[in-house]
Amino acid sequence: MKIRRTTHPDALVSILKQALSPDRVRNDAAERSLFSNDASIFKGGASGPVCFPVSTAEVQAITRIALDHGRAIVPRGAGTGLSGGAIPLGEPIVVSTMKMNKILEVDLVHRIAWVEPGVVNLDLTKTLMPLGFHFAPDPSSQQSCTIGGNVANNSGGPHCLAYGVTSQHVVALDVVLPNGELVHLGGLDAEPEGYDLRGAYVGGEGTLGIATRIAVRLTPNPQAVQTLLLAFNSVEDAANTVSAVIASGIVPAAMEVMDQLITQAVENYVNAGYPTDAAAVLLAEVDGLSSGVAINAERIAAIGREHGAVSVRVASNDEERARLWKGRKTAFGAVAQIAPAYYLHDTVVPRSQLAGVLRRVYEIGAEYHLTIVNVFHAGDGNLHPLILFDPRENGVLERVHAAASDIVEVSLSVGGVLSGEHGIGIEKRDHMELMFSFDDLDHQRRLRSAFDPLCRSNPGKVLPSPHSCADIQSLSRIPEGVWG
Amino acid sequence: MTLNLDPDELASCVQCGLCLPHCPTFRVSGDESMSPRGRIALMRSVEDGAPITEEVKRSFETCVQCRGCETACPSGVKFGHLMEKTREALAKAHEITPSWQRFALGALDHPGLLSAGSKALAVAQRVKIVPKRLGVPRIPLRSPAMESSAGSVAGDVYLFTGCVMDVWQRDVHRDVQYVLERAGFGVIPTTNASCCGALHTHAGLGDRSRKMARHVIETLDGAIPILVDSAGCGAAMKEYGSLLGTDEAKAFGSRVFDVAEWLVANPGTLEAPGVLDLRVAVQDPCHLRHVQRVHLATRDLLRPFVRELVELDDEGLCCGAGGSYSALEPELAGQIRDRKVAAIDRANPDVVASANPGCSMHLQAAGVKSVHPLSLLAQALRG
Amino acid sequence: MSDPTLAAFCDLVGSHDPVAVAGGKTRFGLGGSLREGTRLVSAPEGILRHLPEEMTVQVRAGTSVRDLHEALAEKGQRTALPERGGSVGGALAVGENDLHVLGRGRVRESLLQVRYVSADGRLVSGGGPTVKNVTGFDIPRLMVGSLGTLGLIAEVMVRTNPIPPRSIWLTARDVDPFAVRDSLVAASAVLFDGRGTYVQLEGQVGDVVAEQALLATLGRFEEVAGPPPLPLHRWSLTPAQLSDEVCMAGAGDFVASIGVGTVFASLPQPRATVSPALIALTERVKTAFDPTGRLSPGRDVLQGRP
Repeated sequence: MKIRRTTHPDALVSILKQALSPDRVRNDAAERSLFSNDASIFKGGASGPVCFPVSTAEVQAITRIALDHGRAIVPRGAGTGLSGGAIPLGEPIVVSTMKMNKILEVDLVHRIAWVEPGVVNLDLTKTLMPLGFHFAPDPSSQQSCTIGGNVANNSGGPHCLAYGVTSQHVVALDVVLPNGELVHLGGLDAEPEGYDLRGAYVGGEGTLGIATRIAVRLTPNPQAVQTLLLAFNSVEDAANTVSAVIASGIVPAAMEVMDQLITQAVENYVNAGYPTDAAAVLLAEVDGLSSGVAINAERIAAIGREHGAVSVRVASNDEERARLWKGRKTAFGAVAQIAPAYYLHDTVVPRSQLAGVLRRVYEIGAEYHLTIVNVFHAGDGNLHPLILFDPRENGVLERVHAAASDIVEVSLSVGGVLSGEHGIGIEKRDHMELMFSFDDLDHQRRLRSAFDPLCRSNPGKVLPSPHSCADIQSLSRIPEGVWG
Repeated sequence: MTLNLDPDELASCVQCGLCLPHCPTFRVSGDESMSPRGRIALMRSVEDGAPITEEVKRSFETCVQCRGCETACPSGVKFGHLMEKTREALAKAHEITPSWQRFALGALDHPGLLSAGSKALAVAQRVKIVPKRLGVPRIPLRSPAMESSAGSVAGDVYLFTGCVMDVWQRDVHRDVQYVLERAGFGVIPTTNASCCGALHTHAGLGDRSRKMARHVIETLDGAIPILVDSAGCGAAMKEYGSLLGTDEAKAFGSRVFDVAEWLVANPGTLEAPGVLDLRVAVQDPCHLRHVQRVHLATRDLLRPFVRELVELDDEGLCCGAGGSYSALEPELAGQIRDRKVAAIDRANPDVVASANPGCSMHLQAAGVKSVHPLSLLAQALRG
Repeated sequence: MSDPTLAAFCDLVGSHDPVAVAGGKTRFGLGGSLREGTRLVSAPEGILRHLPEEMTVQVRAGTSVRDLHEALAEKGQRTALPERGGSVGGALAVGENDLHVLGRGRVRESLLQVRYVSADGRLVSGGGPTVKNVTGFDIPRLMVGSLGTLGLIAEVMVRTNPIPPRSIWLTARDVDPFAVRDSLVAASAVLFDGRGTYVQLEGQVGDVVAEQALLATLGRFEEVAGPPPLPLHRWSLTPAQLSDEVCMAGAGDFVASIGVGTVFASLPQPRATVSPALIALTERVKTAFDPTGRLSPGRDVLQGRP
């Protein structure tokens, strides 16, 4: 039995500095403040010392020091998460993976790459492209976000419609468990024996330890790609088209919908030729072998016209396609042209319910006097309503919070789920009871405690009280000011 | 203290982090404090009353001011302006830009001082006491003055000769003048316009740069176009409008063109005896690509005159030169340059074309063969 | 709990004595024999809801995979579960992939939502009904391949896929199966038995024709009715080990799944050792879900313990 004691913060910092190097442990108040937030709207995090390990051994050392000193650890990648998963609560040691950013090995025989967690998603794909492969998960933040972060959040992206989310692309990992032990999960062989702890680890939001080496699957680049841009007079028409395409037996590589306001903001930034007078646009991509691609592209165009598409444009070359996608992927940021802040929501509903739920989302916006715009992964029913607001307006956050809760309720009422790709973090922690029973949550807690019995890794996330860590009472509720 | 930043400008950042990979200092460090998002967060906390600690200063001082984050930012955050204002406030409070830097920058708008200093440097180079790694080009001991060729049929243009470049790289100006004359233009090299003030703006010496901008505007009055062959100077002069906030300055800014930008729009009569047998990689100076946003002109201009043009695969990430940055932050500048050199190696060109003398010098110091695109063009035209 | 069928299954499982589920018993011995005296129960049967436009089907665990696929085929869909006489719950608890894994996906990725009876006899739900979901910890992944040692699967929501318009098997001798795998895009399976290479092509008619033409440049392929007979034992190797004689030694007669690493062999696979850290973590998981060890006692998911 290890005796845990609390230590003077300065002593902790000097021990960490000895274990790493002085310049890779930061404790300045200003610098710590930078690690108290992520890309979400949640404030109120408080970071302890920030460590930048460069090796698995250093991550183990930090973990053991944290354990000895009774401190929690919070792993962090690029800080582009949207659910507050990387926000440190209660001054834990923050472990930044940004200096563990090497692509260790590209193995074309097994069609995998071993990478460190701080490798940027798009950098990996750029490295693989000339070899004829890419990393399939492509979240909108892919130019900035890291593979480690993708693993933690089981990230998605437009092309997950056909290729699946991150879990399907992680073959094996080395994980430093919260007790400091190193464990190898999964494997390159066909069916690794034992429980699928690899699968259980992915999407653990940093509560199950820190992955220091990750074997990701390489996806062959498609032989042929066609990207279609369909314009509609209503968001419902676009949503119904999406549902009809899937029902017809086509699984496109991606199907994305943007409503008018967001399309206008995006077009202003990328000049991709998005029709700014359309109520909604559908960006659909099919890939694969050329014959099937041609057939499916034509069928999508036809289904679109049947459902009220006023125009159908096919990208004629790679540059045009890249420009259209750049528009889609920078959509969230482009919102700043409309309002200084937004709350980006993330729920999933059955595809057949998209049109009805969207109608309700706009109504909810009107009820709370908030502008809500929609840009989303329509193909898998993954909604991303953006609630726009000006934080300087008095009391606006309560309305934003209330509208967000209503959207969650509407989504769940039609058989949807809380999150499609952003994760639970602190954002939806207290919504978990809407989707899961006490027993369901208790079993999730059991899984977490098998990895982290002492609740040392990213405490206060994912599971609501009383399923969250009992020994850290202060985190059992979301701290004051998080929504401010 | 307050940084006097525009709250709306500061509020426009939504912390999405899409800027991170486009920031050269974040790329080499992985440090949030060396990223645009982190720097804006620190600006906010200073505005909210946080003290100016060494770490905070370090965050601001390490910014190259390349403004690569601005082209990456879908929210349109005016990062360059925020950083310039921040540095101006800190410099006023003597938190940054120590007096030796102020003195050195002072030489730039005193041609006599600059010329004397350069002569001393030229002599020092001859007796080999200037380390090569500094990347200072071989400075001519004597260089004849440039002469005006005003009065052409196609029209006359100013060629802005600036400060350091006029002394150190007058050959580039001569090449530019030659190309412009071959295109049919009369060229008036500016002789007393002196320094554009870009480096002073970057150092936070706003009062001085505004004074220098006013001087440049007064000296180059009239209506004829002002062509600039240094991307950093061109960017600064195009932004005189926002620097001074006057209609006169805005009108002046609209007369400023990068030489390549001008020649692509006004090609005149450029004909070369043959193409240069070279594989040329275009390195975009940040202030051409991210500020002036006319970097494609360099390619359009060179394409007919060289065997092959190749792109670097780093999406215009900064080379680390950054005006005086490479001298003030040699370690970071070197790490940033290493990435650029690796990208150049992957492209494997015979020569790199860079439209900014600072970038060229910085790359040359790492053994890269880098020349001004107009010098390449002049070489092709001369045959 | 509103579903009386599931409530009845919970009562059947109870909360005290050693218990396990018997499905089709096609892979019943995996992980070792059940301890003597273990009570066997059957999971409930029935297809509850197939939503073709959602590409999901909700089905009770006792339903046979064959019946499920027959019902799905009416709407032109299927699942990644192997059809070999067993039940849906059994296929998931075992977790072994179908022969056509390259084209149809892995079993572990097809499970969207799982309802199972816990060791203390309660109905627990993990995952969600939609095709995309990251709400909470990934209980479904943990249940796939757990051999009934963590919970007894009662009902599931499984991902469905469209049945492609064309599907054919081809075979040829004297071709390099690895080159075949590397050349093809639409192969659902590439098998090699030491002499012949078997390829299953699936997709749009035009795509299959194109891939068939490509195959013709590699060897003389002829259409056949289906795959070769598969030997009894199942090995798990890495794709690269398939071309390594040392790794393949001791397999006897075999059919190897190229690009996947599964080998169907006449002899059992020698066990590899597992690290102490992984054993410890595995035991913590088992204890967390089944503190008294009453679920499928005698079965061990880690065959490679030292």
